[in-house]
Amino acid sequence: MAIGLSSVVMQLVLVREFLAQFQGNEFTIALIFFSWLILGGMGAWLALFASRRSRPSLTRLARLSLLLAALAAIEVLAIRTLRDIIFLHGADVGFYPTMAAIFLLTAPFGLLNGFLVPYSLYVLRGRDADYPGARIYLLDNAGDIIGGLLFSFVLVIWLTPLQSVFAANLPLLVTATLIASERQPLRPVFLLLLAGAVAVLLAGLLLENKSLSPFEGRLIHYEESRYGRITVQQDRELLTIFVDGAPIFSNQNISQDEETIHFPLSQIDDPRDLLLIGVEGGMLQEAAKYRPARVDYLEIDRKLTDVQLRYKLLLPLPGLNLIHRDGRAYLAGTGRRYDAIIINLPEPETFQINRFFTGEFFRLARQHLRPGGIFAFSVAGFDNYLSDPARLKISSLYNTARLHFQHVLSLPGNRVFFLCSDRPLNPDIPALLQNKGIHTTYISSFFSGNITPERLKYLRDNLLADTPVNLDTAPFLLRVMFQQWFARFATSPLPFTVAGGMLLILYLCRCRREELVLFSTGFVIMGSETLVIFVYQILFGYVYEQIGLLVTVFLAGLLPGAWLGERLRQRRNFKKSLALCDAFIIVLLVMFLLALVTAHDQLQPGFFLLFGFAISLLCGCQFPLALALGGGDNPAVARAFSADLIGAACGTLLTSLLLIPFFGILWATAGLILVKAAGMPAGAVRNK
Amino acid sequence: MKPIDRRTFLCLSAALLARPGAAHAGLWPFQGDRHELSGEEDIRGTIFKKDAPKTLWKWHKEGFSYQKLADRQVMCNICPNRCLLAPGDRSVCRSKVNLDGTLYSLAYGNPCAVHLDPVEKKPLFHFKPRTTAFSIAAAGCNFRCLNCQNWEISQVKPHEVRHEDMFPAEVVRQAREAGAASIAYTYSEATTYFEYMIDTARLAKDAGLNNLWISNGYINQEPLLELCKVINAANVNLKSFDDAIYRKLNGGRLQPVLNTFKTMHDQGVHFEMTTLVVPGYVDNPEMIKEMCGWIVANLGPDHPLHFLRFFPNYKLTRLPPTPVSTLDNFRKLAMAAGIRYVYLGNLPDHPGSNTYCHHCGQLLIERRGYQLPVNNLEGNLCKFCRTAIPGVWL
Repeated sequence: MAIGLSSVVMQLVLVREFLAQFQGNEFTIALIFFSWLILGGMGAWLALFASRRSRPSLTRLARLSLLLAALAAIEVLAIRTLRDIIFLHGADVGFYPTMAAIFLLTAPFGLLNGFLVPYSLYVLRGRDADYPGARIYLLDNAGDIIGGLLFSFVLVIWLTPLQSVFAANLPLLVTATLIASERQPLRPVFLLLLAGAVAVLLAGLLLENKSLSPFEGRLIHYEESRYGRITVQQDRELLTIFVDGAPIFSNQNISQDEETIHFPLSQIDDPRDLLLIGVEGGMLQEAAKYRPARVDYLEIDRKLTDVQLRYKLLLPLPGLNLIHRDGRAYLAGTGRRYDAIIINLPEPETFQINRFFTGEFFRLARQHLRPGGIFAFSVAGFDNYLSDPARLKISSLYNTARLHFQHVLSLPGNRVFFLCSDRPLNPDIPALLQNKGIHTTYISSFFSGNITPERLKYLRDNLLADTPVNLDTAPFLLRVMFQQWFARFATSPLPFTVAGGMLLILYLCRCRREELVLFSTGFVIMGSETLVIFVYQILFGYVYEQIGLLVTVFLAGLLPGAWLGERLRQRRNFKKSLALCDAFIIVLLVMFLLALVTAHDQLQPGFFLLFGFAISLLCGCQFPLALALGGGDNPAVARAFSADLIGAACGTLLTSLLLIPFFGILWATAGLILVKAAGMPAGAVRNK
Repeated sequence: MKPIDRRTFLCLSAALLARPGAAHAGLWPFQGDRHELSGEEDIRGTIFKKDAPKTLWKWHKEGFSYQKLADRQVMCNICPNRCLLAPGDRSVCRSKVNLDGTLYSLAYGNPCAVHLDPVEKKPLFHFKPRTTAFSIAAAGCNFRCLNCQNWEISQVKPHEVRHEDMFPAEVVRQAREAGAASIAYTYSEATTYFEYMIDTARLAKDAGLNNLWISNGYINQEPLLELCKVINAANVNLKSFDDAIYRKLNGGRLQPVLNTFKTMHDQGVHFEMTTLVVPGYVDNPEMIKEMCGWIVANLGPDHPLHFLRFFPNYKLTRLPPTPVSTLDNFRKLAMAAGIRYVYLGNLPDHPGSNTYCHHCGQLLIERRGYQLPVNNLEGNLCKFCRTAIPGVWL
């Protein structure tokens, strides 16, 4: 149970570390889970080999547990340090180097973690040959649930990553000590190892800030919020706020401040009520030139606005209201209407951000605009040439906006701005500003050379009318953004897809029937979890605790499921139970699909929680049954753990990177049904 | 050295890690000027083996300067990469191929970017202010800059971009039709489409148009001397004054670029220099002092130098922008070293973008972006003290 706790906390800490140090997109998250689960599977196999070579012992289990605890801190520090040694500081990292780095840096902990769970079973079976394998699964799950809850509701709120690692590994240190002292007094070697593990964990605490210090300037602020890592870097007079390693706000960004605010506000007569999402202080100062009566500034992360205020990157303004809510959830729940809604968000390269660039959100924004009001957003643009992926992105956004607004004006440049309204729009922004008597520094000087009639025409001529629109349920932009990421590094996902596909086919060909069942089970549970998180975010906004709750619900069903499966296993016709579980899982997924089709907007949070619990209960139930099908001896346990983990790894990767971006949510659900249906006959046939 | 046993090693390691204040006493290994430790040391490009098309397309021209070698190999002599290509190979810059023992450029008459820009945007501050430049680019580059703002055309092969059909005569015709004073070879790296550039420039010169070369300066002397005969002005990047940074951030070498400056200076071409100040890499004042000392000693004080503010771009997106005061400081350092005209770019409404007479210090040209509300030059003379100001003003 202590291993389960340590492992889940470490997994979540690693996700945040890799997101902060590498790229904050779904590829990175999927690669982390994929590596983690694959390594877990490999670790389980290693445990089997190790148990054959020498008799598993309590002493070794205790020592390896200490090593696991120490590795947790070492790996976090290694990620931070090696990131800027192996890769250039300040530079992005491409797909394949990211994949290699994630796999290699996760390997020591992931392998050992995967090793220890079955190994502890072999140790127990050394004392009691009939010790049930499913009980280990059950206890590991219990630890996972405790770890998930602890991280989501305590550690991430109150502690830094290395503090979390320290706290989550204390139970493991205590357990290891208890195990080591069970039959004999503690030996000096063990005490030394214990002291070493404690020292490493403590050293992690001391090196927390040091390991984050930048090359240029100095780190003047660091904190972890629920939404990411916030650091403030000072280089001379320049203050820059980084979230997850990417610079997002600074106090010297006048060109973007002016463009973001004046391009839309110059278009309307008297902007009184403004809604701004994700803006920085300079933008508010520009907005103040219009003397608005009310400025609602939406930022989900309270800690981020606190930091902005503390370092004067956000200055108080008459009529300014800070609202700490998800922008989309806020709009869905308010009846207030605005003269302008302006969003300034990073690129739509994650599911989370993409929600603000879909047709559904544009409709919501239009519903909250007064007549003649304006809605504006921007994405990374181009200097002199519109590449094919950028062209698709901009065309998709234009086509999506045109579905909901009578007039859409796109302005070219380093950022492409979209102005959307039910009134005609004028591209001559300097003239509009002059008429209003509003002074600008950047626009008045540079607009004429950057946004020329010729460049406006170039952009207009390059918009593709047949590009698909971007929708919640079919996020076309995510696909384009992935293409753009690969294009930037001149690589292609094809080699990975081909190699991964071949390895998977080879693995599946060697699988026994119970392994195929567990593979499809692991695939479906992680695929469903990904689907549910994504749909939940679309419908209810990004509410961190509830995402934590969803993850926990998916874990929580496994525990009673495993217990139920263990009871069913003792019956004579347990094979029928296995097939029934498969059938129920398929029925559940079909119901989920039908609910999405028929009642998309009316679905309540409880539906998703219930679905998550039910599906994880059924999947949890299958583990002991499939294990029994394979005989339940040590090799069978190792193979079962591996199949479950490898299935889960593939489910995560394929659902988030292939099924949802390329086929949309509905077809992704159908894909999961197919996978489970394909695994179903395996439970019904005999091994050769 | 006396070996230590495992137990002693573990004890020592634990004691060292647990030492109070260890983290603050330099235990953390990567402090100070750390970019030397970071990432690949050399990102220079390599040739693309067997990547050439089987047949030539419409937009090709035999290489301007290359050697035919044994076994139908060729060596391109345009830039210091000196790509040695076997039949079927493609050059580092991606635009040259060896087809059956002949070197061809595949970037000829097929510009992927065509725009009309103010000459100040190049940036050229001492060349015919308030005029426009008909600006063209074909795909390719002999560098691999991690912060390239035109990577979508510089880091691709000619057939990977959409392009126009515009052979040299058509470029000149369209430039005249647009009312441009000059044709600028820019955006990607003009040296890689040298054949297209020089043929167009010769026609443009005959037609009374100016030619502007906007480049990283990574070119060999022979083609450069030929180019100097037809260009009227250039803006050449001096990306840093450290060969290690050139290799690490740009995938090039420093010395050939310095040679380019010397050659252009000797040939009497008006040129301006641009340095992008990348935080953590190109923001060392000592390096800037050294660079300015070299400029004054080798090129004299009259070639304008532009320091540009860095913003995250392409692969270099996890760095902050350059602090304005760093640029101010560099401008002071450069002027103290003796360079007479030092400008700051990517900074709206900053006095560092104005021209002040090096003799009397009066404001000669006030620049607000691409607008010039004040011009106190009379011909090439300062209106106040009649000092000649270097540049091409009429």
